[in-house]
Amino acid sequence: MLELYAITKIYPNGVVALRDIDLKVDRGEFAFLVGPSGAGKSTLTKLILAEEKPTKGQVIVNNQVVNTLKPRAIPFLRRQIGMVFQDFRLMPNWTVEENVSFAMKVIEAPHRLIRKRVPEVLELVGLAGKSSHMPTQLSGGEQQRVALARAIVNKPYLLLADEPTGNLDPDTSWGIMRLLQDINAQGTTILMATHAKNIVDTMRRRVIALDGGRIVRDEQGGAYGHED
Amino acid sequence: MKIRTWSHFNSQAFSSMMLNSWMTIASIGTVAVTMIIFGIFMLVASNLTTMAGNLESQVEMSVYLQDEITSEEVSVLGQQLMELDGVASVVYVSKEEGLQRLKEWYGENNDFLAGLEMDNPLRNAFELRTEQPEQVLDVAPIIETYNGVAEVVYGRGVVEQLFSLTRLVRLIAIGLMLGLASAATFIIANTIRITVFARRREINIMKYVGATDWFIRWPFVIEGMVLGFIGSLISAGLVSWLYGLAVTNLQVSMPFLPLVKPWPVLLVMSGWLLLLGMTIGVLGSALSLRRFLKV
Repeated sequence: MLELYAITKIYPNGVVALRDIDLKVDRGEFAFLVGPSGAGKSTLTKLILAEEKPTKGQVIVNNQVVNTLKPRAIPFLRRQIGMVFQDFRLMPNWTVEENVSFAMKVIEAPHRLIRKRVPEVLELVGLAGKSSHMPTQLSGGEQQRVALARAIVNKPYLLLADEPTGNLDPDTSWGIMRLLQDINAQGTTILMATHAKNIVDTMRRRVIALDGGRIVRDEQGGAYGHED
Repeated sequence: MKIRTWSHFNSQAFSSMMLNSWMTIASIGTVAVTMIIFGIFMLVASNLTTMAGNLESQVEMSVYLQDEITSEEVSVLGQQLMELDGVASVVYVSKEEGLQRLKEWYGENNDFLAGLEMDNPLRNAFELRTEQPEQVLDVAPIIETYNGVAEVVYGRGVVEQLFSLTRLVRLIAIGLMLGLASAATFIIANTIRITVFARRREINIMKYVGATDWFIRWPFVIEGMVLGFIGSLISAGLVSWLYGLAVTNLQVSMPFLPLVKPWPVLLVMSGWLLLLGMTIGVLGSALSLRRFLKV
């Protein structure tokens, strides 16, 4: 699903964000990406989305080489990847339903399909009754559910979540995590960057730990970090 | 793009214009003001060109004949002149008629011309017009070689200067219009940039969802086009009304300065204003978007 080969990323200002990274995430996996701020988690996400190009090495998503994609082809890569952010990134002036259906309008899906699929997904994330609400009328957890609905409405192969629980209280966070587990159970590969120690420790999934631009640990059923 | 996508673009463009209503009014105002200046300029230029054209069409040439040629030779020569390429009209003016004209020209002060009927110093002549005023320059040297021709006079020098002057007027008009158009484009680009800047987060979200650049661009382009259309419609109406007033008023107060008739010229001007206003709107929004699409 996701393959990184000998990835090094040096930014124009000289900062080395990633050093010689090799990583493989299989279809259907659920993996946590942990590590201190500045460890390279965001850079890794940007490379997968073709927002940045690696200085060295190769990025492959769903059997497509990403680092050599022409700018024209990048939108079509991103349509196969769902993206969730810490700050939700919803359109403030659009209703819940419009925010979700927009992702389908972008891929020019037929109206009929949009009308069928959007309520389905809103049902799945538990917002069936709030389709005509504005984002400002929703709680943080609900907003993140809208963002999740938007991310999965086109049935992506891969879901990238960048600290999706970073702005949420613990209870709400667990709601989002259960939802992510459901999405994963339906076959979507999930890579989640996080600082939430108790979530990682409780879920016992694959943990990839980055530090100083290197992978320092990669274990199945791991914990957030080893207390020394 | 599919039809349903276009309807999405249209509704996006219109809801954006309603949402940023002050920005919309400001942009329409900018287009309108620019296009008013532009329209006035076009009308001035068109009047100048017509005036220059009138001056050009008044260029005419006199072909003076030698005194000793017979009337048969004169009619042969007249025939030759008629058949020359580019000659539009040939009129024979005998020296008696010439003297008569001279007297009329000087009016009451023509005493010094008295008695000249006996010993007329003028020469018989042909007065000649060409189809294109510039052709005077080509025809003159040919006529000078004809038998019985004493002299060809057409205001040598003055005519050449007139031609280069009208050419200069046209060049300056085109140059000023180009300058004005690009200045207007930048004003619109800056106005729309404020709207785009307010929506840069939205653009960023669209990029992450996998929208193509054109998918993001089209609503803005439509917005720019509509702003440009409304603005130039206002200006076309206003300038047309003002010009109508000017024509009727000047007809009375300055009849010697005839303005170009409103009918075709205002339609042509309005067409140009609409086209230019929309182009400026589209260019403006495309320019202001460029920076924000790089994600």
